[in-house]
Amino acid sequence: MDPITIDTTKIKTAKKKPVTALEKLEDTGLISTVLAAREREGLILFSTIDQIFNWARLSSLWPVTSGLACCAIEMMAVAMAHHDIARFGMEIFRASPRQADLMFVAGTVTKRMAPRVKQLYEMMPDPKWVIAVGSCASTGGPYHESYSVLKGVDLIIPVDVYIPGCPPRPEAWLYGVIQLREKIKNEGYGAKWGLNK
Amino acid sequence: MTSADELKQKLPAAVVSTGMQLNKPMAVIKKEELLNAARIVMEMGFDHLSVITGTDYTDRFEVVYNFFSYEKKQNLVLKVITDHDAPEVDSLTSLWKGAEWLERETYDLVGIKFTGHPNLVRILLPDGWVGHPLRKDYDMNTEQFVTMGEDGNDIVSTDGKNLLRRK
Repeated sequence: MDPITIDTTKIKTAKKKPVTALEKLEDTGLISTVLAAREREGLILFSTIDQIFNWARLSSLWPVTSGLACCAIEMMAVAMAHHDIARFGMEIFRASPRQADLMFVAGTVTKRMAPRVKQLYEMMPDPKWVIAVGSCASTGGPYHESYSVLKGVDLIIPVDVYIPGCPPRPEAWLYGVIQLREKIKNEGYGAKWGLNK
Repeated sequence: MTSADELKQKLPAAVVSTGMQLNKPMAVIKKEELLNAARIVMEMGFDHLSVITGTDYTDRFEVVYNFFSYEKKQNLVLKVITDHDAPEVDSLTSLWKGAEWLERETYDLVGIKFTGHPNLVRILLPDGWVGHPLRKDYDMNTEQFVTMGEDGNDIVSTDGKNLLRRK
């Protein structure tokens, strides 16, 4: 029987715990194009405006407090401690659309509510994002052939992420939020204004 | 003896027929005698008018009144049959205050006029909406949109140019 030989070169050494600010930054891996001049006293970072801005934007999305139907009950569940949307920096549901940059269209958009929803969206400052939650806000859902319900909120405002469900579970809701964060992460600077299309 | 039979005993001229509707005693009332019958129904202890419905049978309208007595824990259903061209029945707001909004809703969605109602305007749909949507002959093909005016009032239009996104 052959003796077991251990190739010591393949054993990974334990990762060194980051101590300095530079090491901590590199450890996050968030800003991938960090180049630091280690020989200098100070810390020089090279990054792109895209990455810095997008990182700042996706880390603190503030939704506007608006619920239209039963999906809004699920929104409360998402905000509570069990699912805890505060993990994404979104715990502040702003009471004024002027302080918000994300809108959950949570519920049925009736014809009579549609101009109000549109006005809320137009009152939000750029850059802003919209998540259509539930089948009602996405397509009209069970009320698709109704006389009084809009067939999808994307008829009146642009929608970034659609979350299906009736209403969607909080897990699905958080998955939609993560998808929006991925989308923002890959946006170009000024994409919302149509500068670099 | 059901409460519908009791009503027939007290006012035989008003009741056309009696029967059961979803395990509730039901009486069909002549249109002209509705207020008299309703007054007797109230005296019988039916203090709660829970819902008013209008039903379109394409040749006639039926207005259905659901009563409940908290004292006796009993239900009673009254039905009034009106013609299809100009549906009009007497208002019960003089007897039950709560009938006001119920009759406004029935007027809004089915288009039945209630004579003697203090404020018979639409309650759910905005003013200016064309047609009554729960009627069988409602035009589902022309879509109506609501926009907001400068003063915040609803404006009903069919083009929706100010509301929909430009494609």
